[in-house]
Amino acid sequence: MSAESYLASPRGVRSWLLTTDHKRIAILYLVSVTLFFFLGSAFAVAIRLELLTPAGDAVQADTYGRLFTMHGVVMIFFFLIPAIPTVLGNFLVPMMIGARDLAFPRLNLLSWYVYVLGASISLWAIVHGGVDTGWTFYTPFSTTYSNGAVVTTGIGVFITGFSSILTGLNFIVTIHRMRAPGLGWYRLPLFIWAHYATSLMMVLGTPVIAMTLLLVVAERALGLGIFDPARGGDPILFQHLFWFYSHPAVYIMVLPAMGVISELVTAFAKKNIFGYRFVAWASIAIAVLGFFVWGHHMFVSGQSAYAGMVFSALSFLVAVPSAIKVFNWTATLYRGSVSFRTPMLYAFGFIGLFTIGGLTGLFLSALGLDVHVHDTYFVVAHFHYIMVGGTIMAFLGGLHYWWPKISGSSYPEGWARFSALVIFVGFNLTFFPQFLLGYLGMPRRYHAYPPELQVLNVMSSAGASILGVGYLIPMVYLFWSMRYGARVAANPWGASGLEWTTPSPPPTCNFETTPVVTQDPYTYSSEEAQVVG
Amino acid sequence: MTDAVMGELVPYRSPRAHADRTSRLGMVIFLASWAMLFAALFFVYGMIRARADVWPPAGAPRLPIALPALATVVLASSSAALVRSLALLERGRVRSASLALGAALVLGTVFLVVQTTVWRSVHAAGLEPATGPYGSAFYSLTGLHAAHVVVGLVALAALVIGALRGSYGPARLLPIRLWAMYWHFVGVVWLLLYVTVYLV
Repeated sequence: MSAESYLASPRGVRSWLLTTDHKRIAILYLVSVTLFFFLGSAFAVAIRLELLTPAGDAVQADTYGRLFTMHGVVMIFFFLIPAIPTVLGNFLVPMMIGARDLAFPRLNLLSWYVYVLGASISLWAIVHGGVDTGWTFYTPFSTTYSNGAVVTTGIGVFITGFSSILTGLNFIVTIHRMRAPGLGWYRLPLFIWAHYATSLMMVLGTPVIAMTLLLVVAERALGLGIFDPARGGDPILFQHLFWFYSHPAVYIMVLPAMGVISELVTAFAKKNIFGYRFVAWASIAIAVLGFFVWGHHMFVSGQSAYAGMVFSALSFLVAVPSAIKVFNWTATLYRGSVSFRTPMLYAFGFIGLFTIGGLTGLFLSALGLDVHVHDTYFVVAHFHYIMVGGTIMAFLGGLHYWWPKISGSSYPEGWARFSALVIFVGFNLTFFPQFLLGYLGMPRRYHAYPPELQVLNVMSSAGASILGVGYLIPMVYLFWSMRYGARVAANPWGASGLEWTTPSPPPTCNFETTPVVTQDPYTYSSEEAQVVG
Repeated sequence: MTDAVMGELVPYRSPRAHADRTSRLGMVIFLASWAMLFAALFFVYGMIRARADVWPPAGAPRLPIALPALATVVLASSSAALVRSLALLERGRVRSASLALGAALVLGTVFLVVQTTVWRSVHAAGLEPATGPYGSAFYSLTGLHAAHVVVGLVALAALVIGALRGSYGPARLLPIRLWAMYWHFVGVVWLLLYVTVYLV
């Protein structure tokens, strides 16, 4: 190793806080999103404690409203949306395309500071009493009646949005302009395709929610009347604007996760991806379709029946590219030499849980059934299967897979497999009963429920505590491994991809000489396949 | 990593030209993103209008047409001056280019003055931001646009100062090119705004 690793030099807090190295910025993001993940989890713990008994006894209804709102706001805006792109994406996008950094390194650092600023403002709102609107900020409750810190939280989320826009912009330009010689679009790893699609949504969707939140803040603070029915305004208009971003936001969370899974499945089945171009274009298709399905959140909000039908049909359409991905991952396994290492366990978890989340999404796209289960725990269970079972599984799987590259050390495999199993069991115990609860008619966002539903709620709360333990274990051993883990070589998995051709951890410049790419992204199956190094 | 395979040609691009094109692509993506910011407000305006029985809504004044038309011409001229300035700069005529840049700045300021006059007349005629959705949408759209004009004017002022100091020339005009893209964007948004809010 000729150059020093990015972790070792330069030293000092200042060199980290002013770094423009995409790898260090990824670490900064890793620390911050992890903090917010555990903060969001703390709110979840309080929610599950309250729901242990049918009576609303542990917290007041008003407090409960604040708890689930802050759980949603923190998890969605400060953990799920940034998690994979800003940590794994920041670290890997330049490395996978053979670049020394992103196109705009200083903008990248700025995006972290914007994130920290927005998140701090929202934290400040939590300290000052929190918000009780739900993460959806529905009007006219948020603009007129809520007594929570809507303005502060809104401004915090508004600011954080710009961090998302800057990251997306940086990725798009980087992928267009910084690819190594010979690296054509169809030679890009699927992780890059997924991040490209995600970035498009970040860049084109986020401004809409920024504007919407600005209007809510202006309505509350300055007395504008766009959403106020008392002055002829239209609360449904808010829902249109909100979901125009917030439905694509779900794909912002899950598309990068799909990119991670494509890398994991190929690396641990030792096979090239089945149907590369289909998987690649499925990402783009999901990104495009994602912008035209927002109305399926509003089937019972009073939009026209025809709009409902169109949105229902379009929502069914999203299942096509999603299913293409699931089928192709599964087909990749066929006759592969599958090894059950920790990242692969997470990949299997993702495929199964995402499939359940996706299929129940079809239930919800169906107009008639949605009227029955709308605003019940069925919906809660559905999106937790996508967001937690999908995104967080992939995030952890990716973190384990690239951990040797990021830290230069290996994690303890036994503990890692154990915690992956704990998380899988805990997750299903937490959220599967919620499908049943929702189907039985338990509405979301209430702190009390009929005694008949207690058994399922106790199961869910028990699952949540198992899940919590499952999340704490990796946190401990990954930290531990940085100091005590065995050092690893450049390519411990024998995986293909430019990121594995550099030392672990990589030097600040990533590549001593710009790599020239002469082959397809996955070189597992061909006879001549060799790990270039 | 293997070195370049024999026979594979890697086209040569000068690093500066490559970096410039990268920055311009960055600006294009940024403006596409910003377009969505305005698109959200145009959508709001469109929805309010589509739901209204009469237009303008009862009690709201008719908007002037002539004064905003003047504003359109002024802003278009400002954009044209910027195009001229870049063309002059490419030919190395730094002094004339600075003058054209100054003209763009002055015209932009005139636009803001005209816009303020329109606001005052509309306000005097009884349209308040808080009366209802129509007033709110009108002032939000024009206000957000004006805020972008102000940002552009600050940038233009900085560019004029830089140009007078001789910071720009045929080899270095990227900052002006990027801000020109921004300025044309602000102009196009105004044109759409003028057509949808004042004309149609």
